[in-house]
Amino acid sequence: MSNKPMPLATPISAPFWNGLKEGRVQLQQCNSCQQWTFYPRRHCSHCLSHDLSWKEVSGAGTLYTFTVARIPTLPEFAGAEPQILAVVELEQGVRMNTTLVGLAPDDIRVGMAVKPVRARVSEDGTVLLRYTGADVDLVERDEVPKAPPAPAADAGPARTRIDVKDIDALKALVSDQFSDWSNQILVDQALIDDFARLSGDDYWIHTDPERARKEGPFGGTIAHGALVQVLMSRMQVPLSFEVTGFTNMVNYGSERLRFPSPVPAGSLLHSRVRVKSVEVLPRGTQMIMEFNIHVVGQDRPAVINDLVILYM
Amino acid sequence: MGLKGQAAIVGAAQYKPEKYSTAPQMFHLEQVADLAARALADAGLKASDIDGLCINGPHFHEASSFVPAMAAEYLGIGVNFAEVVDLGGTTAVGMIWRAAAAIELGICQAVLCVIPQRMAPFGPDDDPSAMARAMRFGGHSTQYGAPEAEFDLPYGHMGQNTGYAMIAQRYAAQYGYDQSAMAKIAVDQRTSAQAHPDAIFRGQTLSIDDVLNSRMVADPLHVLEIVMPVAGGAAVIVASRELAERSKGRPAFVTGFGERLGYKSPSYAQDMTETPLAAAARTAFAMAGATPADMHAAQVYDCYTITVLLSLEDAGFCAKGEGMRFVMENDLTFKGNFPMNTHGGQLSFGQAGSAGGFSQVVEAYQQIAGKAGDRQLRVCDQVFVSGTGGVMSEQGVLILQGA
Repeated sequence: MSNKPMPLATPISAPFWNGLKEGRVQLQQCNSCQQWTFYPRRHCSHCLSHDLSWKEVSGAGTLYTFTVARIPTLPEFAGAEPQILAVVELEQGVRMNTTLVGLAPDDIRVGMAVKPVRARVSEDGTVLLRYTGADVDLVERDEVPKAPPAPAADAGPARTRIDVKDIDALKALVSDQFSDWSNQILVDQALIDDFARLSGDDYWIHTDPERARKEGPFGGTIAHGALVQVLMSRMQVPLSFEVTGFTNMVNYGSERLRFPSPVPAGSLLHSRVRVKSVEVLPRGTQMIMEFNIHVVGQDRPAVINDLVILYM
Repeated sequence: MGLKGQAAIVGAAQYKPEKYSTAPQMFHLEQVADLAARALADAGLKASDIDGLCINGPHFHEASSFVPAMAAEYLGIGVNFAEVVDLGGTTAVGMIWRAAAAIELGICQAVLCVIPQRMAPFGPDDDPSAMARAMRFGGHSTQYGAPEAEFDLPYGHMGQNTGYAMIAQRYAAQYGYDQSAMAKIAVDQRTSAQAHPDAIFRGQTLSIDDVLNSRMVADPLHVLEIVMPVAGGAAVIVASRELAERSKGRPAFVTGFGERLGYKSPSYAQDMTETPLAAAARTAFAMAGATPADMHAAQVYDCYTITVLLSLEDAGFCAKGEGMRFVMENDLTFKGNFPMNTHGGQLSFGQAGSAGGFSQVVEAYQQIAGKAGDRQLRVCDQVFVSGTGGVMSEQGVLILQGA
């Protein structure tokens, strides 16, 4: 699962999507006028006859047009490869909206021969029909979101050591600028279920994917805010400093904790931090660090936590 | 067939385009009444003269159905003709000819055509993030069973930028492409915008290099070839010949129109580079008994530079494939030999949602009526107006003729 839009098959279109899952590209052909129809319909889009048959086709065609989306059409489409939108004209004459994969933008030409690539995009087996060059060695790929590898223990930039008594240096860390992003982690349904058991919060919007899809506002289950908040511990934020010279460091709680946007099951998370304030109080030196946890690609944070750290 | 030229635009009002963040917030009903009062004042007519209403249905704030009845009640008028027009960027053009047709049928004498596009104030229980959610997929339906929800959105085909970019890319492969000519469309319009007091980009001139050096959004479209959304809104009064003679300015008679649509995604067009406007313009010119060469100005819907290029070709101002050369060889500013989008076009005036298309209608009327101020054309009797909705998927044309 991810929060990219997914096709929801209807009784009319199900043969198309089911065929893709089984490795076949199928189109409807009219038994009255012999013309082909796409997208799937109950009637022929040439003569309105209801006498259509599903036929397996190779899926091969030519590139009708394309564009490289330099700004992704949704944040979720940002990724390692460029988002290349395309229209393909199949040998049967129908056109499909799709995306090109396995091709560099400079190697793409309108009119070039293209062939289908089956892209598995969801744990439930949903396959999208992407395209690539006819001579590219690619017929299928797995695009289901996977847990990224944990970062190495010594990952991150070299840290400046700042003595806790050097208040000026600590105060100089206060900034509106956030750090770089941490490593990414995956929040899947299994993790959400584990947290539901541990916490006792098994409300259906977290634990019942079927009901959440039908009745919930988010098109599926979402992670508990409390779960996402504690996942901070799995994210290593590349801090540029390290405070030294204290006897004791205490997590004193939170000055502000907000869950501004939901985290759908299947999301990748990452986080970043800034030093919000540094104060010398009778009980010690207090640093407030604003942690923001985001779904990868989303501008709006999922968690804002102004964490209070006391150095004594 | 068609109109006899017995109905005319007699008055117009248009909010100054503003950024959404700084524009006043008003209920849509309130804007309808305000714009109506301003347009009536421009026409020198009174509220009781209005007996017809064309209004937008989609994105109307206070209701999603029964919009005309609610608006008539709020205005305190009764009408013999009420129409919700849902044609995206060609809604304004669609409203004008429907109003003219209703008047020529004799069922009404003055039709208020109006689209409010300032934001309404948030209520105490409104969720501001709900709007962000609604905007997430642009103008696309996410309803179960909507073909685009199933076959476009999962592939990232959404919004307008990439659709127009793919049309431009196809055009480039078929006919060739001159980036500088495309940029010149935006540059010439920006020059005209300097003479419009309300244009959002007044005071900011533009060069071809500025356009070509601006950020590439979706190849081959640069950000300066794409309209900027603004808050705004507009109203136009269309009236019968009798009432037009009582109104205070020079009326612009509707002598021809055309409308054409057949798909939402241009991927399903017979030929992506032959736009629906070709058929609409043929109908409109034939109805008006006019040719492209008869036009004193062209107000061409311009959500993107490529929209303008294809509209010029398909309306017959130049041959297919000759658009880039035509743009380079002609001066498109209000001072030029081919005055086009003399208000700056939406690219430089601003695009107030579906009211953006009104900017072309209002400019055509103001040029004919002699109300165009510093950018007034010396002679302006006959004007071509186009509208484009969706991704070049629904298009309309008006031919307006000064009395």
